[in-house]
Amino acid sequence: MCQVDEDYHDGLERAEVPSVSKKCVKCKEASAAVVIRAGDTYCRGCFKEYFIHKFRAMLGKNRIIFPGEKVLLAVSGGSSSSSMLSQVQEGLSQNAHKKLRFLPGIVYIDEGGAVGQSVEERRRTVAELQAVFKATGFPFHMVPLEQVLDLPSSVVVTAPAASEQPASAYKAAVDHFIQSDSSSCSTPQDHEQTSVPEVQESHTQLLQQLVGSAQTLTARQDLLNTLRHHLLVHTARTEGYSKLMLGDNCTRVAVKLLTSISLGRGAQLAQDTGFSDSRYGDIILVRPMRDYSAKEIAYYNHMFRVPSVFIPGGDTKTTDKASIQRLTESFVTKLQADFPSTVSTIYRTSEKLQTACRKSSTADQADRCLLCMCALDTAVENASAFQATLTSEQLSQNKPSGATGTETLRPNPAPVEQESTAPSGQCCSSGGEDCGRAERGGGGCCSSAKEPERTDLKSLLCYSCQLTIKDMSSLERLPQYILSEAQRRQRRSQMREEISEFLLDDGDEGS
Amino acid sequence: MAAPVAIHLEFGGGAELLFNGVKEHHVTLPSQSEPWDMKQLLVWIQRNLLKERPELFVQGDSVRPGILVLINDADWELMGELDYQLQDQDNVVFISTLHGG
Amino acid sequence: MCTFQPPTARLCCRRVSHALFSGEEELTVHDETTCYLTQSCKTYLVYVRKVIFYQYFSSCISSPHSQFRPRFIGNFVKMPVLCSSCTEKRAVLKRPKTGHSLCKGCFFWAFEEEVHQTIVAAKLFKPGEIVGIAASGGKDSTVLAHVMKLLNERYNYGLELMLLSVDEGITGYRDDSLETVKRNQQQYELPLKIVSYEELYGWTMDAIVKQVGLKNNCTFCGVFRRQALDRGAIMLKVDKICTGHNADDVAETVLMNVLRGDIARLRRCTAISTASEGEGVVPRCKPLKYAYEKEIVLYAYFKKLDYFSTECIYSPNAYRGYARTFLKDLESVRPSSIIDIIHSGENLSVREGVKMPVQGTCNRCGYISSQALCKSCVLLEGLNRGLPKLGIGKHHRLHDKILSQQPLTEKEERKLKSVDF
Repeated sequence: MCQVDEDYHDGLERAEVPSVSKKCVKCKEASAAVVIRAGDTYCRGCFKEYFIHKFRAMLGKNRIIFPGEKVLLAVSGGSSSSSMLSQVQEGLSQNAHKKLRFLPGIVYIDEGGAVGQSVEERRRTVAELQAVFKATGFPFHMVPLEQVLDLPSSVVVTAPAASEQPASAYKAAVDHFIQSDSSSCSTPQDHEQTSVPEVQESHTQLLQQLVGSAQTLTARQDLLNTLRHHLLVHTARTEGYSKLMLGDNCTRVAVKLLTSISLGRGAQLAQDTGFSDSRYGDIILVRPMRDYSAKEIAYYNHMFRVPSVFIPGGDTKTTDKASIQRLTESFVTKLQADFPSTVSTIYRTSEKLQTACRKSSTADQADRCLLCMCALDTAVENASAFQATLTSEQLSQNKPSGATGTETLRPNPAPVEQESTAPSGQCCSSGGEDCGRAERGGGGCCSSAKEPERTDLKSLLCYSCQLTIKDMSSLERLPQYILSEAQRRQRRSQMREEISEFLLDDGDEGS
Repeated sequence: MAAPVAIHLEFGGGAELLFNGVKEHHVTLPSQSEPWDMKQLLVWIQRNLLKERPELFVQGDSVRPGILVLINDADWELMGELDYQLQDQDNVVFISTLHGG
Repeated sequence: MCTFQPPTARLCCRRVSHALFSGEEELTVHDETTCYLTQSCKTYLVYVRKVIFYQYFSSCISSPHSQFRPRFIGNFVKMPVLCSSCTEKRAVLKRPKTGHSLCKGCFFWAFEEEVHQTIVAAKLFKPGEIVGIAASGGKDSTVLAHVMKLLNERYNYGLELMLLSVDEGITGYRDDSLETVKRNQQQYELPLKIVSYEELYGWTMDAIVKQVGLKNNCTFCGVFRRQALDRGAIMLKVDKICTGHNADDVAETVLMNVLRGDIARLRRCTAISTASEGEGVVPRCKPLKYAYEKEIVLYAYFKKLDYFSTECIYSPNAYRGYARTFLKDLESVRPSSIIDIIHSGENLSVREGVKMPVQGTCNRCGYISSQALCKSCVLLEGLNRGLPKLGIGKHHRLHDKILSQQPLTEKEERKLKSVDF
């Protein structure tokens, strides 16, 4: 009897409680609900307006996506990419203030196979996301990561970029688009349902072996990242999209920047974190969410009921020191808690970096990393960190070069010790998988048949991807498209070497 | 003595994984001499709801950096954070913004 | 104690360490290290244990009998890891940069040879040059002095070497470490010049801390030291200064500049040497740029070098502490991280059109400066006027006032006076 009363009473009371002390800085009327950056408090309505405006401002400012262009949104189910999807929906809606004018599609990469999810779990996640995607009315593609095993080699070859569009072309294109019948795109067409491709168990196993061959979580994350990108770009190409939207938010960009630096990816920083990334040539990667902090997105999604699906990954519930990626994330979030400008400062650093790929369009394939597709940063220059590492490696191995001077420093070895060479050999003969890891880069150990293959592949990789490969127990498990492209490049460079003396105009080899 | 407080808790963004995947919890905090505040609530959650890895949820006497808190749909920074005194029927949301949840 | 990833490793960790600690002769490496650790730093104990444990663990799992039976521990004790270079002697350390295990002799050779390679590859010196070694008495500069002298003789660089020290005037720290430098002078038979803050600026660090407190004292110390070294170098007619900055220091600076968003410094900080920037500035270089701090400490330890190992008594820069801890954590996850970060720094490309400060000279002392007054003069002015905050933060608009010796307004003075900033 009293319960009803109580409930009612409570509702009244709660409304009266001056729970929110501050007013919105924008409208200065409504009570604030969100604090963003240094003490900027927004009420619900103003926060929504600000959030929506920022998305369109970002796309408008960069003028990269042309009207009528097909754009593929990479949605992982996480809060950032789900928020991106909702912003595109919002921007395309009839009553939108500054309407977006491109044709969106959605791609979801199901990585469940790589992180050991059961078939049921994967089905459930896919079904959940499918429901979300269907509701948007956009065409969508559900792609299991296993498909990466069947990619063609063309994925790791930079395609020629679409002809350079001058800045003025953007305005012309917009005008043209408005004049022509724009209604055709705004009405969601009846898209044929993309059914989820069946995954063979053997494929999942192969994928697991591939991912499992990376023996550190750092290398595994890096490898997964590369494979995911390849599959995304391939999907975009085969489905006729020219832009790929990624959901990286400001916090992620900051973490990624610091992670990339720690992984030796300094040369690729701008591509890894910038607004647009043209390393694949024809498909341009775009990061429209990079102005939003993780907090803004989480609050927006919660307040305006943006559906997202949390999918545990390989690093879920791991400790801070499980991988360089995790460690960096926890470092940045902790620092951010103490110094609230951390993320925005790091983010601003990324703005000041070179965005254009060095000699992007003309670069020879041989100058690009086989895995991450960035320009190689391994030209051995005098006095560089890379050179210093090579020197260290040489000097630490059983090589006669160091021996001459060493004689004077160390006394002659006792002959008895000769016998004890056996155990270090034993470590290898049993072919332990972890051997390669424990003796990382060790010269004496693991000189089995796979060693030459590793060195060969190395020359095709950038500094950081070489580190990832170093952490892998076997390279045979790499997908065929990578291995065959590696062979092709090797053959080509061999050929080039053979004919080099006949070439007249070759600055590189001539000197 | 303060009366028991019935509140609604919600975990999201992957934080729910530390609570057996359960996102929503209707709980009643027992009556105690002082009124319930957020600081005490965190201790209570850790003792009564948290299933594993407490360090991934709380750090020191606050939530782990990267986990956001909303009290009645407003940023807890506006509500006094740890000092906020819980009212009956309050709604508290914890959202993880961390990559692995 | 054990920070290994595989859970099995953690399980057997205690047993292994027990075996290691209770075994007999094989534990000499360990005991040595433990002894030395007590005087310097706990992290190295963890490191050395990890090395030993790692080697044990790898031999265990690759063996056909994968159970951790006592006889395997026995095996391990009988079969130490051998040096990967000479393949004869027992290894004493695992190199963080490459993962190789080396014996003492091969380690010394490799370490020295690498510094030599760095010097040659970067063309740091020319024959006949007078080179001042910035010596603080700490591990880095002691190893630098030792290696420079050794390489100069081994490879006939033809350099005239000198030690150059700065006395900041910190009782209980610098006065003790200067004693070490003075001993080094005898040991290495090199001339030594000490320049003190007191004679250059009229202020000791002790006095500065009394006025400014512990929060920003490192700013004063760092700015003053840079100029002090240059002045000392000019007095000695030195052509170049080399400093003991190691790979860890450089990597840490890269991280710091990212965290501060300082793109100009980020671009400069990985350079191995500074070009001659003008009057009053002597070119500097870092021969130990690619040497890991761990190896420097191990080198100093195994060579039994005489160095001073106490932290400065005035609290170090807190923000830098974060970067330092992060770097150490990174190193424990992937030991090559430090050199990887330097590689990143060396390959950064900065966008064209990003504003870079223009270097000019200080109107008062003629030292290089991007402002009308150099940082050092501003800080000094602040100290002398009792306005310590003058040099902290941005007060560029006040520089003209100071130069023309105009009085500051009361409001300005009040803002700059408070010590608890």
